[in-house]
Amino acid sequence: MSENDHERAERLILGDWVEGLSPTDHQWVNRHLETCARCSKFADSAEQALRRLRSVSVRGDPVLVRAIRLRLHARALELHERRVQLTMLWISCALSWVLGALSAPFVWRAFAWLGERSRIPAFAWQLGFALWWALPAVAVTVVFVMRRTRAENRL
Amino acid sequence: MTIANSLFLNSMERETQALARGLRRRDPDLLDRLIEQYQYRLLRYLLYLTGSREAAEDFFQETWVRVIDRGHQYNSKFKFETWLFTIARNLVIDFRRRKTTGSLDALSEPGEGQPMAEPAAPDNLSPADLAAAHEESERVWAALARLPAFYREVLLLRFQEDLTLEEIAAVVAAPLSTVKSRLYRGLSELREKLETEKV
Repeated sequence: MSENDHERAERLILGDWVEGLSPTDHQWVNRHLETCARCSKFADSAEQALRRLRSVSVRGDPVLVRAIRLRLHARALELHERRVQLTMLWISCALSWVLGALSAPFVWRAFAWLGERSRIPAFAWQLGFALWWALPAVAVTVVFVMRRTRAENRL
Repeated sequence: MTIANSLFLNSMERETQALARGLRRRDPDLLDRLIEQYQYRLLRYLLYLTGSREAAEDFFQETWVRVIDRGHQYNSKFKFETWLFTIARNLVIDFRRRKTTGSLDALSEPGEGQPMAEPAAPDNLSPADLAAAHEESERVWAALARLPAFYREVLLLRFQEDLTLEEIAAVVAAPLSTVKSRLYRGLSELREKLETEKV
């Protein structure tokens, strides 16, 4: 028996556990094991190693489990509240946008009138109007950025 | 595929879909059930990965917090344990990345000097049997502790968790060929270590 045969047998013995063997390989390795004491010993020790590996269990920790349960319940509540807040924020945004869109022509005229009365250049009162229009979006963006920063800091 | 097989797959799919819906709702009862069901397996996986009881317990908590935070990302096409182990693994790697390198290679030295966890033995054994079981467990742990973490990890997933090679590849984010070679190498090294220790 050549060294190659032993190497092949050892690989197939491990392969049988790792991914299974084709019938041909199975037949070959079985025939080899019948006549080779060295590889039979290898097969036995591999099987024993696996049996010993499978026998290892881990001690659980009821205190740890209780602690994580409490933590998760609190977290679930916190996330739920945050979701409600977020929904409210979106509703406010939508309302603010609708009101802004509806009132835009009147506000435009108001800004134009004020600009004319106080004799300020047109681009200045138009900029004021743009700011008024963009203010809710800016406020919401600031809120989101602050929330994200806070969440990242917590991690 | 037989009818029994297809019925089994259908029921499994329904189960994972229900799980995905529950996770999206952050259902507290479901979370309790999941912790109950997977506590030992997750802790054992983390113990294999980190080699330290203390670190494993920390990551255990963080993994569950991430489960609740990212519950909406769970894909019901996969088994829950595959997703759970992936989260746990990523947490360990992220932590290691912040400390040193971004792979499990850094975990080759288990627990950085801390003792490996004490394994449990069944309660119904006599004190002598218990002592023998404890000693045997310690020997296996000692042999495992001398293996690199990426070997310990695949050995656990394959031979204790009974995951398929494809599922293991998904958890460890490596090609199938890498998973196979780690399994061959890990099993071979474990056999050698347990064998030499017996002498």
